[in-house]
This record gives sequence, C-alpha cells and structure tokens, in this order.
Amino acid sequence: MNREKISVKCRQRNRFIPGFLIGVAVLTVISLLYLKIDWLKMASRVPDIGGVFWELAHLDFSNMDLIFSSLVETVSIAVLSLLYSLLLGILFGMLAAKNVFKHPILSAAVQSFFTFLRAVPTPVWVLLMLVCLGMGPEAGVAGLCVHTTAFFTKSFAQSFEDIPEETIEALEVTGTGRLSIFFNAVLPASLGQIVAWAGMRLETNFSECAILGMVGAGGIGYVISNSLQGYDYGTAGVAILLVFLVAYMIERVFVRIKRKFN
Amino acid sequence: MTKRIPLIARDLKRLYTGFLIAAVLLFIVCSVLTNFNVMTLIANGDAFWEFITEDFLPPALPKADRIPGVLSSVLVTLALAMSATTVAAVFAFFVALFGSERVSPFPRLAKLVRGFATFLRNIPALVWAFILFSSLGIGTGVGFVALFITSFAFMVRAFVETMEDVSQDCVESLQAVGASFPQRVTQAILPSCLSGFLSWFLYCVEVNIRASTIVGMVGGGGVGLTLFSYIKSFQYDIALSIILLVAVMVIVVDRVTGKLRKEILK
Repeated sequence: MNREKISVKCRQRNRFIPGFLIGVAVLTVISLLYLKIDWLKMASRVPDIGGVFWELAHLDFSNMDLIFSSLVETVSIAVLSLLYSLLLGILFGMLAAKNVFKHPILSAAVQSFFTFLRAVPTPVWVLLMLVCLGMGPEAGVAGLCVHTTAFFTKSFAQSFEDIPEETIEALEVTGTGRLSIFFNAVLPASLGQIVAWAGMRLETNFSECAILGMVGAGGIGYVISNSLQGYDYGTAGVAILLVFLVAYMIERVFVRIKRKFN
Repeated sequence: MTKRIPLIARDLKRLYTGFLIAAVLLFIVCSVLTNFNVMTLIANGDAFWEFITEDFLPPALPKADRIPGVLSSVLVTLALAMSATTVAAVFAFFVALFGSERVSPFPRLAKLVRGFATFLRNIPALVWAFILFSSLGIGTGVGFVALFITSFAFMVRAFVETMEDVSQDCVESLQAVGASFPQRVTQAILPSCLSGFLSWFLYCVEVNIRASTIVGMVGGGGVGLTLFSYIKSFQYDIALSIILLVAVMVIVVDRVTGKLRKEILK
C-alpha cells in the first residue's frame, strides 16, 4: 500500500512574508536590548498595579459635578473640532483632489502641507495653541482641528478621486464650471464616505481629547491626571469609568450607523 | 411649468437632511456649552502671527552637545513603538484565537475575551500610562507597558475581525475531518489570515510611533520628553526643529510600512 503523504503545503505562498517576519523579530530584539528596561524592577512592582486598581475600584462620587462638567466639556470640544474640521476638510480636500480643479501643482502642494501637519501628534499642536491662546476650550478645539483637518483632507481627497472620471467628463461637456461640478457631482457622491470617516474620527477625537487634559489643557484628562497625582483614586476611578463608557457608546453607535450604510 | 427632477433618491435625501440637522443642533449645543467662538481665534490672529513669526520661525538647532541626545531619544521612541507592537501582536494572536466563536475551542468564552479587549481598548494609552506611573514609577518600561496594553487590545479586535471575514469553509471542513485545534490554526487560519494580520500589525506600528511620542511627553522617555521640555522652557525655535524631526520620522515610517504592506498583500 502506498503510504506516501499528500503534500499540504500551499504553493502560492508569498515568499516575502518569512523574510519580513524574521526582520521584525530581529528588530524587536534589538529594540528591547536598546531600551534597557529594568524588567526585574518592573516585575517586583507588578503587585502594586493590583493595589492601584483596587483603589480605583473604590469609586468616589463626591466630586461628581466637577467630573461631569469636565466630561461635557471634553465631549463638546471633540464634537466642535470634528464639525469645524469637517467643513475645512471638505474645502481643502477639494483643493487636494486631483480631479476637481485639475491643477497638479496646487493639489501636490496642499497634500504635502497636510502630510506634515498630520505627521505631528495632536498634543503637540494643542500645547502650541495653549501658548498662543491661553487656557480654555479654544486651544483644545484649535489644536484638535489641526490634526483632524489634515486627516480629513487626505481621506476626503481620496474619496473625491474615487469618483469615476466619466461623471466629471459628462458635466464638463455640458460646460459646467469646476465649482458646480464639485458641489453637484463629486460631493454628493462621496457623502456616504464622508459620514463614515467622520464617525471613525469622532472616536479618535474623543480619546485624544480625553488625553489633552494631561498635557495641560482642561477637560476630563486634567481631572484624571490631577486626581491620580494627588492619590485621589476614587475620583480618578469614576472619571476613567466615564471616559470608557462614552468611548464605548460612540463605538457602538458608529457600528450601528456603518451597518445602516452598508 | 417646470418641474425639477430630484437628483438624489428621496430616502437618501431624508437621511442626509437628518444628518445635517443633527450636526447643526450639535454645533449649537456644544458652542453654548464651551463658550467657543471662532471670532476669538480671528481676534487673536495678531498674537498668533507674532508667535509664529517671532518665536517659532526660523527653526533653530539645539546646542551641539545636545544633538546626540536628541537623536538617541528618537531611537528610543522608534524602539519603544517597534518592540511594544511586536510583543503585543504575538500575545494578541494567541488571544484572538479564543476571541472568535467559530475558531475558538471554547466558543462560550469568546464574548468574554472580546469584552475584555474592548475594555482595554477604550481607555486611551495616556490614561493607562498615568495609571501605571502611579504604580510602576516613571520610565521607558511604563511607556512600553502602556503601549503594549492598547495595541494588544486593538489587535485582538482587528485579528478577530480578520478571521471572521475570511471564509469559514476551510476551518469547518478541517473540523469535519477531525483536525485538532492546533492543526486548524496552522493549516487553515494562518495561511489565509497571515497577510491580513501583518497588515494590521503595520498599521499598529504607524499608530504607535505617534502614541509613543505622546506617552513620552508625560514621562515615558523618548523624543516626546525632549520636545516637552523644550516647549516648557519656552525655546520654541528649538522645539520647532524637533517637531520637524518627529514629522520626518513619522512620514518615513509611514512610507516604509506602506511599501511593506504592498509587498505583503501581493
């Protein structure tokens, strides 16, 4: 009887992947050696984490009004920056898309400027806005707007460019101006995607907004970092729980909306 | 009499009108709640411009003896992101196997695993960093753990979704012929999902490069800490050159991961 095994190896395997995996493993080992983390010291303190969580679980609702007002502030900053950036994003996305004005230099310039803005993390912008505008929601909104607008510009430009060339050509033939082509054909066709991007961004904006307080802007992040540094774990526990709940709610609502659109 | 032909379907139009009204209402409510007014930004335009032209431009280099320190802090940030993401990916792979009802040997636990990941994920990395600072002390190690937690949770979700998206026929047929759980993983899931997993891994590296800069700002070390100290000491022109450095770092990493992703998904 022939007992030869059937080969189960897949022949069309990507040859690149094994090399990639080895490369990643080597880089990781080098990185870990370079970081020189004192693992023993860390491990000896791990039991303390349990202690901190135990303290955090003793929720202290006495500062509820402060927590609640700063949470409302944080959510409002996230929403406001999202809405302002939505408008700015459509404007700059229009300039950055290659098929709207057919002006390659303009779109390349806009694209590369926003690539730079996008590459710098949000808290840096907020810190700089704090310097210019002083404490308050203005710095938060303006700082978040920088990054969100840059993100929207790129993603909206991509959606605009996905419009079939025929649609635009058909309108061009009738002699429609470039702006009316944009507002009557390109924008309506990508509205669904814009809503999807906005939903995705709201999630990010909220969590970024929640951390802004930690670098010095107001809001719920300030309450968390302040009460953690003051060993007021009960208040911090409530605040962290609320941040989690709001983030979770946004995620669920967004999943619903996405399902509706598909 | 001319009757206009509606350009979009009526139900779509209603949906979009709803969104528009909701957006306007939200805008009004939030503006009232925060007292935010664009006009204050415009009124502050002069101060803004002055800040940019006088304090910010032109970018200045830090003192010559500080430059090696700045460069090594960039390396720390890169190393932090790289190692935390890889370690998290390995753990996330094994946990994700138990997070999908169709793959896991204990389908009842799948919901629990996913719920745990959702909990970890919805708390921002910086909040984790602060919680950990108060127990583990300040340093790169804490930055590593904070990044590890969020990217681990993110990848568990992404990996589970990748596994559910891929056709289940393979897993089912292997199960039907009596393949054990490790056999199903290595023969069905790994070959079909590996490139998807790696693509998510690369995305996570991109995110973590930014996140490790931010975690660095509050005490996790790396270029974030350097940048923060320059901003705090009002040396904005030096801060600008470090911001440019960060931007270059992020853009280069994005380019590299983009290239790698194309190769992997081929």
